Amino acid sequence: MPAFKIPFNGYSVKFSPFNENRLAVATAQNFGILGNGRVHVLSIPPSPGAPIVETAAYDTADAVYDIAWSESHDSLLVAAIADGSVKVYDTNLPPASNPLRSLQEHTREVHAVDYNPSRRDSFLTASWDDSIKLWTVDRPISVRTFKEHAYCVYAAAWNPRHADVFASASGDCTVRVWDVREPGSTMIIPAHDFEVLYTDWNKYDDCILATASVDKSIRVWDVRSFRVPVTVLNGHNYAVRKVKFSPHRGSLMISCSYDMTVCLWDYMVEDALVGRYDHHTEFAVGVDMSVLVEGLLASTGWDELVYVWQHGTDPRAP
Amino acid sequence: MASPSTDTKIENPALAEPRNEGDQNATTKTPKPISSPSVFVNSEPIRPEQVENAVKFLSHPKVRGSPVMYRRSFLEKKGLTKEEIDEAFKRVPDPSPTVQGATVNQDPQPKLVANAQLQAPAQAQQTSAAPTRGVISRVISQPRFHWTHAIYAVGILAVSGAGSAVLFKNALIPRLKSWIRKIASEDENGVVRKPGSKPSATEEAAAAAKTAAEAAAQVAKASQEMMDMNIEEKRCFRNLIDMLEVQQREMREMSFTIRKLEDQTNSSSVVRTYSQDYRLSSSKQPYTNGMAEFNSLPGRSSLPPASVNSSIPPYPKSYIEEFNDLSSNAYQHMPNSGVAPRSKPWEAGQPPNSSSTYQLQADSDLGNINGSTSRWQQKNVRIAELENEEESKVGPYYSSQAPEQTARRPWVPPQPPPVAMAEAAEAIRRPKPTVQKEQQLTGDHKLDQPLNELQSVTDISEMGGAPEARPSEIVEELEGNC
Repeated sequence: MPAFKIPFNGYSVKFSPFNENRLAVATAQNFGILGNGRVHVLSIPPSPGAPIVETAAYDTADAVYDIAWSESHDSLLVAAIADGSVKVYDTNLPPASNPLRSLQEHTREVHAVDYNPSRRDSFLTASWDDSIKLWTVDRPISVRTFKEHAYCVYAAAWNPRHADVFASASGDCTVRVWDVREPGSTMIIPAHDFEVLYTDWNKYDDCILATASVDKSIRVWDVRSFRVPVTVLNGHNYAVRKVKFSPHRGSLMISCSYDMTVCLWDYMVEDALVGRYDHHTEFAVGVDMSVLVEGLLASTGWDELVYVWQHGTDPRAP
Repeated sequence: MASPSTDTKIENPALAEPRNEGDQNATTKTPKPISSPSVFVNSEPIRPEQVENAVKFLSHPKVRGSPVMYRRSFLEKKGLTKEEIDEAFKRVPDPSPTVQGATVNQDPQPKLVANAQLQAPAQAQQTSAAPTRGVISRVISQPRFHWTHAIYAVGILAVSGAGSAVLFKNALIPRLKSWIRKIASEDENGVVRKPGSKPSATEEAAAAAKTAAEAAAQVAKASQEMMDMNIEEKRCFRNLIDMLEVQQREMREMSFTIRKLEDQTNSSSVVRTYSQDYRLSSSKQPYTNGMAEFNSLPGRSSLPPASVNSSIPPYPKSYIEEFNDLSSNAYQHMPNSGVAPRSKPWEAGQPPNSSSTYQLQADSDLGNINGSTSRWQQKNVRIAELENEEESKVGPYYSSQAPEQTARRPWVPPQPPPVAMAEAAEAIRRPKPTVQKEQQLTGDHKLDQPLNELQSVTDISEMGGAPEARPSEIVEELEGNC
């Protein structure tokens, strides 16, 4: 299907866990440096020829860096805003009563949001003020703050099997594994020599996680033996911005990078790079794999376009 | 007792083993610290050689002077576990930030020193007793310490003030009084004294006063001389400044003429920038589309920290080098974290924006191009191709002129209308004779000045033989336009 043109620069895409035709996009004006932001909720047409349609859009005072769908309500969205606030939106409500809630606790930009898929009532926000906060949707204040990183935290990801375990990636070049029941981090993985921009858990093996870094590589780690990575995936020409594991195949990963490509990897295979899509003409910063439709991929970048395509097809094909 | 254990069992099916142990301790109802069974805790024993290396590192004098967060972060990056780092910190008897009160020593009184000493080991005990608490506890303990410390300081100051007041009262004032009494009594005695006796205190005082007055007069003379010197210096400085201003003016005119000459030769590229965004940076190559506005906006002074390093990741430095770089940064800091190791890009200040004044020169130089639009277009295409090659090598951030993009989003280079150019050319030419006429009205000698200055420019300029040909062209044109 044809690309969807957004007015601002895209930052993140997420498929809805309830509706296979729904997609949320986080965008920011002026590359997220200064200006407003917008959250789009798009509807993917069932037939491949039809265009993508926008069903809702919410404007924000500052850039939106990340978006996450709620796992408990199909109409709830959580957005990470660059002014340090976290906003909750409800697509069932009229635009006048959105955002439903605005939670202002971080002192710097909130860079990532992740919803707990097991507990379904809580979510994490990672911020450039070196801290991660745990929230529940019903409470107006955060439940916990995890402050151990020495630099900006770029991502936080819940473990898909263990409801209380999550990992965080930070600019201090480490990845920390935390347990909500513990006062501090339980593991510190010195993942890269440069800033780690993203981390994600394997959906089929709860001890494997992948990290994406400024050093252009993706490393796959096993927490049981975290001194040496399971594998190092090279292939990107610039910093890797995001890496996500597939919900359908255990060793398949998708990544997007500042070299404007979206790559697919299978780390169990000798030649790990199994797909490369060169459709963006600017930094590719957001990528997602649909849970409900196998092989459906979405990506967005600073070229103000959102692509949704099936793995194996050309994203730019109309 | 049964329900919490079953709940925990359901939540973590994989952690079957620890929950069994948790069953046994379920009566305590506190989360059992996961020491070995959970997969998400590193169950390695403390490695002694790593701890020794860390101790050596922490004992280094340069490291001693750095904030604790830096040291922790470095050790974490090297792969030490929390336990190893805490063990190393324990072994190195450093003045950690929890014992700050002892170092911030404001009061000489032994009382406070004793208190500080008492508190220091207490603080050290506190931190050592809770190794897993991490930074939060330290941050919390610091303000408490500061607070009590402030109270002590105020008390000590009050006491010392009172003590000094008492001192004054008891010691100095009686001295003063006795001295006054002495003088008074000598006065009285001086009246009764026989003539020819030794000079009295009053006479001595008078003599002293005279000498003092003379000294004061000398001082006054000296200060007046200094004043005169200052005035003279000021005069000299003013002269200097005037001369410098004159020089500055001349330099500006020189640069203006040089730019004119340059623009004549680079006329095609300048004409291209003429229609671009006014606030482009001073580089002559235009960057297309929305990128042009990127530079001129304030706000976050750069992209998020990651992308700054993205295209050229620095080679790894040793710790000391890192430190030197970090400590020399101007470092304005966030309220929350007690000490953060690196200053964020937005705190380091914004990069300077420079705007060009090519607009003006482009206008003035259009007149020199007599309808040579086709030639200009050809040059434009060639330069655009060259730029495509260049920019494809530079990071993707700047390359937005890929052929695919031009196919999908056609960007037509702006073409100035040919007809208007001839008129513009004449219009631009016309003001010159009027300017010159004005100069003639004000004085003949002034007309010669620009020409003289141009010639002096060519004399002074070190650019070589080629530019000398151009001023002569300009001179001819000026004469031609008259």
